[in-house]
Amino acid sequence: MKISYNWLKTYIDVNSSPQELAERLTMVGLAAETVTAKDDDYILEFDITSNRADALSHYGIARELAAIYGVKAELPKPKLKESSVATSSVTSVEILNPEVCPRYVARVIRGVKVAPSPDWLVKRLESIGQRSINNIADITNFVLLEQGHPLHAFDFHKLAGKRIVVRTARAGETLRTLDGVERKLREDMLVIADGEKPSALAGIMGGEYSEISSDTYDVLLESAYFNPASVRRTARALDMKTEASHRFERGTDLEACIRAINRCAELICEIAGGELLAEVVDAYPQPITKKPIELRYKRIAALTGLVVEPARVPKLLAELGFEVTTFMPDSHWEVVGPSFRTDIHIEEDLVEEIVRHVGYEHIPLTLPTWNGAGAYLTGEERRRKAQSTLIELGYSETISFSWVKTELDKYFQNKELNTLVISNPIDEERPQMRTSLLAGLVESLARNFNFGSRNIRLFEVGKCFEKQDDIVKDYKQLAFLVTGQRSESDWQHQQEMMDFYDLKGVVEVLLENCGIKDYELERSSVSYLHSGQAAQIKVLGKVLGHFGQMTPSLRDEFKFKQPVFLAELSLEQLLTLPASDVKYTSLPKLQAVNRDLSFLLPENISYQELQKAIKDLEIKELVNIRLFDIYTGKNLPTDRRSLSFSLRYQPLAESMTDQQINELDEKIINLLSSKFDGQLRR
Amino acid sequence: MGYSVEDGPEIDTTFYNFDALNIPQGHPARESQDTFYVTEQLALRSQTSNVQIHAMQRRTPPFRIIAPGKVFRRDTPDPTHNPMFFQVEGLTVGEGITMGDLKGTLQTFLEKLFNRAIKLRFRPSYFPFVEPGAETDFSCYLCEGKNTICRVCKGSGWIELGGSGMVHPNVLKACNIDSEKYSGFAFGFGIDRMTAMLYGIDDIRHFFTGDLRFLTQFR
Repeated sequence: MKISYNWLKTYIDVNSSPQELAERLTMVGLAAETVTAKDDDYILEFDITSNRADALSHYGIARELAAIYGVKAELPKPKLKESSVATSSVTSVEILNPEVCPRYVARVIRGVKVAPSPDWLVKRLESIGQRSINNIADITNFVLLEQGHPLHAFDFHKLAGKRIVVRTARAGETLRTLDGVERKLREDMLVIADGEKPSALAGIMGGEYSEISSDTYDVLLESAYFNPASVRRTARALDMKTEASHRFERGTDLEACIRAINRCAELICEIAGGELLAEVVDAYPQPITKKPIELRYKRIAALTGLVVEPARVPKLLAELGFEVTTFMPDSHWEVVGPSFRTDIHIEEDLVEEIVRHVGYEHIPLTLPTWNGAGAYLTGEERRRKAQSTLIELGYSETISFSWVKTELDKYFQNKELNTLVISNPIDEERPQMRTSLLAGLVESLARNFNFGSRNIRLFEVGKCFEKQDDIVKDYKQLAFLVTGQRSESDWQHQQEMMDFYDLKGVVEVLLENCGIKDYELERSSVSYLHSGQAAQIKVLGKVLGHFGQMTPSLRDEFKFKQPVFLAELSLEQLLTLPASDVKYTSLPKLQAVNRDLSFLLPENISYQELQKAIKDLEIKELVNIRLFDIYTGKNLPTDRRSLSFSLRYQPLAESMTDQQINELDEKIINLLSSKFDGQLRR
Repeated sequence: MGYSVEDGPEIDTTFYNFDALNIPQGHPARESQDTFYVTEQLALRSQTSNVQIHAMQRRTPPFRIIAPGKVFRRDTPDPTHNPMFFQVEGLTVGEGITMGDLKGTLQTFLEKLFNRAIKLRFRPSYFPFVEPGAETDFSCYLCEGKNTICRVCKGSGWIELGGSGMVHPNVLKACNIDSEKYSGFAFGFGIDRMTAMLYGIDDIRHFFTGDLRFLTQFR
């Protein structure tokens, strides 16, 4: 909101510079953002919070300054020359919906001359960026900007039946508003109607047919109070925002209706001439009174820590226009807020009034007394470990929007899920809340390919969402992806591309760094992973996540030209799993023996299966099995591959002979040949 | 300083998002042009303040919590707006908690964060869930108000932190906390614009694109 310094000074006598006024007003809560010199004036631009509708005018700002400087803010007293004809003899006001329009005041001026406004008026309006229209429209606008009370002027002769009916719209009614738009009205919208049809959208904008024009002769002025919620609802439904609706939505001064209409009538008679009919028509069926609020002196310091001189309390409130009744001197008052302060309801509101005028800068700096140490979320340490592990392995952490393309998210769902869809998305293409982090990561990957990167490592930590029995279930996930060369900087390895085993290595390091050593890797059959290169991580019998190579078909879908490896884990599970215990065994006294064995095995047999089967033999002396080579190709049948293991035997009580070791080897060889159709390669 | 970290739901009911925070039906903050809705009763939280309510219902005073998290508003993306961003929310409830404690807490926090002496400026402001309410600025850590073309404070000498105030009695009531016995303060601020300011990032939309040219600068 713009305020002219010169205009402001017509209501209050202060000699401070515009910069000082801006500073002082800001420090009581009316934030002046800029002060700009303009011709012989200064324009102050305010950002007024939504509770302070009373400050949305020059007089409103002057009132606040009056309390700051301890002076008086005054409006000019209207001098009205009324004719002998009463307003009530030519028109009437009927309110059919007093719950949303408790008061409607009207006046009629006959025989006005619609013309351009005088220079002083044009200058006032233009100083704060308002356009001059004609003298009548400009005067209503001027009074709005002076007092903050919106007014409307109708061409009296255009009103059917020469009367006003305040009511909600009827089914099928329309109104062409001043901006030339034909509006379809809903039955909950409040309108100002004449004897037949809507003539204005209450508190928002007038209708075109009753607009003031060059052939307007008689004018009916409206000054009313409309319920904020009702005006807001209608304005939003019709996507309208006007100076009037802005103020009515925030709450105007019910008791200012008459003051504003008289000021407007005075200026019209002075500028556009005409005969002002006697007295207002004031439809105010149920006068509204404000309830007193109790204020205890001790509450001020209890809430703010600021000690205010007791005698200052009633004085400050009175300067702000509050009525104060002393209950107990210096400790207990009853306070009634002024009609223009629609934001004052409870004791705490009064405390704020006092403290903001004493000055927030005087509130002392203190600290609450100690009440114990704080705590991190469960699993915080492990979460940091997981993230730093990935960062150390060259992965960059990214954050994607929580909404995704529905069809993209579907690729990464492991099972049928009820998804959550935003009813009013900002990105129409992405209305669905993600159920997996992979959709977002893959889109980021696509962007990075477009920017020319080929070697990409990304991870994300965040919440995903699904609906379970009409309840939102959110769950934290951790996902990462990798593609491109294994080592970017090393020219010797330029041709080496990342493969499934690199990803597996990352998963294993991640788990071990998180203290989880007892996990199993099994074949996974999730649809987005390539069947030969897909694994699931199982800990304590529960699936923790999946990883592997993205299927070629999905890769084609995204037009990715190189293999992409994906992993997604339940972070929630990862953070709550118990850490593996450290089991100590006393150091062996005897020398361990290593044996290497190579087998030719069918291609579909995984090392994991073999390892498990060998462990199941429960050979006590076998303390470690390690895969050290996989070979396919030349000299081997196409459906077979060679796996080489290193076996480590630890003699228990006494040294082992070659014979004994060979017997153990034999057990393993027999197992692999009988169960897995493996042949020992000599 | 004795704060426990809290984590609240990012999709929450209108009770936690609005009603309990003294934002009644018809309030502009609830409108669908500002808030993302899943159903009439479920919305993507537009501020981390919903965590306050969950925490107050679960804990008994005295307590202190801090809740960082994602929030969502229907802002069209531009260099200073994103429809998703991060906030941090702090809340202290106990006997005899005052606005002075709020000022002291924020001052201590900022001095630790920037590792230097800073000045605070408290201005009265309005948020439905606090009363009295305040807007907090702190003295520019870079130029201390001495540089008229400072890239961080733009010469004003002040940097806007965020909103705060004493927890509104209606909010305490909604959480069954006796507002005569206990009082509390709450504060909140945005991370994204602050980060943009600290690093001189010209466009906050970079935050959520996953662009490695951007991300790797912060490794």
